[in-house]
Amino acid sequence: MPRSLITFKIILLAMMLVVTAIACLGQSTTGTVSMSATVSKFVEINSGGAVTLTGNSGGGVTTDGVANSPLAVSINLGELGPSNPNNFVTASVPLKLRSNAPYVLSMSATVTSSGSTSSRIGPADVGFGLGTISRAGTGVNSPATDTNATSGDPTLPANGSVNATTGRYEFTGVRSNLSSFASATTALNGPIIMNAVPRSNANGLTVPAFFAVKPQFFENGTTTISVTFTVTAP
Amino acid sequence: MFKFTKGILSALALSTLLTLSATATHAQTTGSVTMTASVSNFVELNSGGAVALTGNSGGSVITDGTANTPLAVVVDLGELGPSNTNSFVKLSVPLRLRSNVAYQLNMVSSVAGAGATAFSLKDTDVGFGLTPAARPANLAPGADTNATPGDPTVGGSTDVNGRWVFAGANSTLGAYAVSGAVLNGPRINKTVAGNSNTSLTLPAVFAVKPQFFDPAPAITITAQFTVVAL
Repeated sequence: MPRSLITFKIILLAMMLVVTAIACLGQSTTGTVSMSATVSKFVEINSGGAVTLTGNSGGGVTTDGVANSPLAVSINLGELGPSNPNNFVTASVPLKLRSNAPYVLSMSATVTSSGSTSSRIGPADVGFGLGTISRAGTGVNSPATDTNATSGDPTLPANGSVNATTGRYEFTGVRSNLSSFASATTALNGPIIMNAVPRSNANGLTVPAFFAVKPQFFENGTTTISVTFTVTAP
Repeated sequence: MFKFTKGILSALALSTLLTLSATATHAQTTGSVTMTASVSNFVELNSGGAVALTGNSGGSVITDGTANTPLAVVVDLGELGPSNTNSFVKLSVPLRLRSNVAYQLNMVSSVAGAGATAFSLKDTDVGFGLTPAARPANLAPGADTNATPGDPTVGGSTDVNGRWVFAGANSTLGAYAVSGAVLNGPRINKTVAGNSNTSLTLPAVFAVKPQFFDPAPAITITAQFTVVAL
């Protein structure tokens, strides 16, 4: 075989190897998909359902609670003077809380009365407390221990009595009336409420908030009681 | 004398003819060119184009896919907690495959930074699936075998604890903590030029159901695809 032909073959083979190498180096056989994400702290308060108003004379629920809807209840407690013969006028407002983190439920309240004397209805005359806390249903973190900073149902005998000196009925339990909540004050706190479940899961922690007034010889007038609940994830 | 001279000339002429004939007989009259070559196995994975991110709250596509370039997508899925009210955060990533031989597409994935409690987001909370269509006529004939159940947002339900469970086997990243096959099939391309645009293009779908996961500020989810020749 002529020497020139051998040389030609060697050059041709070398060129082919180079072309193949370039083709191989340009070929992509792997790829990546990188995703980042966040799970933020989430706390939520909603209505736990319909309000229960008892012991009222006149009055009624003006805007009722609707389960799983924002809490915006409006209630006319009716007559709170001595013409109301009932032991207490009580409103029970169901609350529903949900969180993916430890939570704190605080409350602030104002009581505005048209009266001008010490006999007018004041914050201390409006009993308050949180009732039995329920963590029930699929997806709710249970068992878990929630801390109720109130004394519970303010109408319980242990939570109030007539002042032996003044004769005025007083709610005496710890954080058992609205005077304890002139500024935002913790009413309840606890650990994570919900397990890792979709938001469409409607369960949560439910607790009734009790408000009670003992009908008495209050100074006549009109009274507005305003309460704001706030839940936070500290 | 004349006859003698004529005889010599004839002899010389014959000798010349014989010499010429011999020379012609020894000249190169053929040639050959011998070439060697090879066709190697060729498998290729590239981006099939722009990704699609839906259902996100605060997320965005940071590095998008570009058709026919190496796949290196970066996406912020945004909020995956309950404040995201969408049904799913869904990411669709187009993949483009080419081969001259039977192929297998593998994937390995990881989830990091989500926490370690029972309520933390886990790899099983990240749905995954491929949704390949039938091959078009401009590709080599054959059926591709999808090892995933397809779009992870189809089907699924909550378990006894209320947590969302994606339907089917191989439907979450939990199945790909180690590299595993997600798709395989016969040769993809017909005998076309290397710069031919024909390819098998299919979306890889990732999905997360927003839930009451443990708070986690920086979750990282990574999926790496590798295509190999069978």
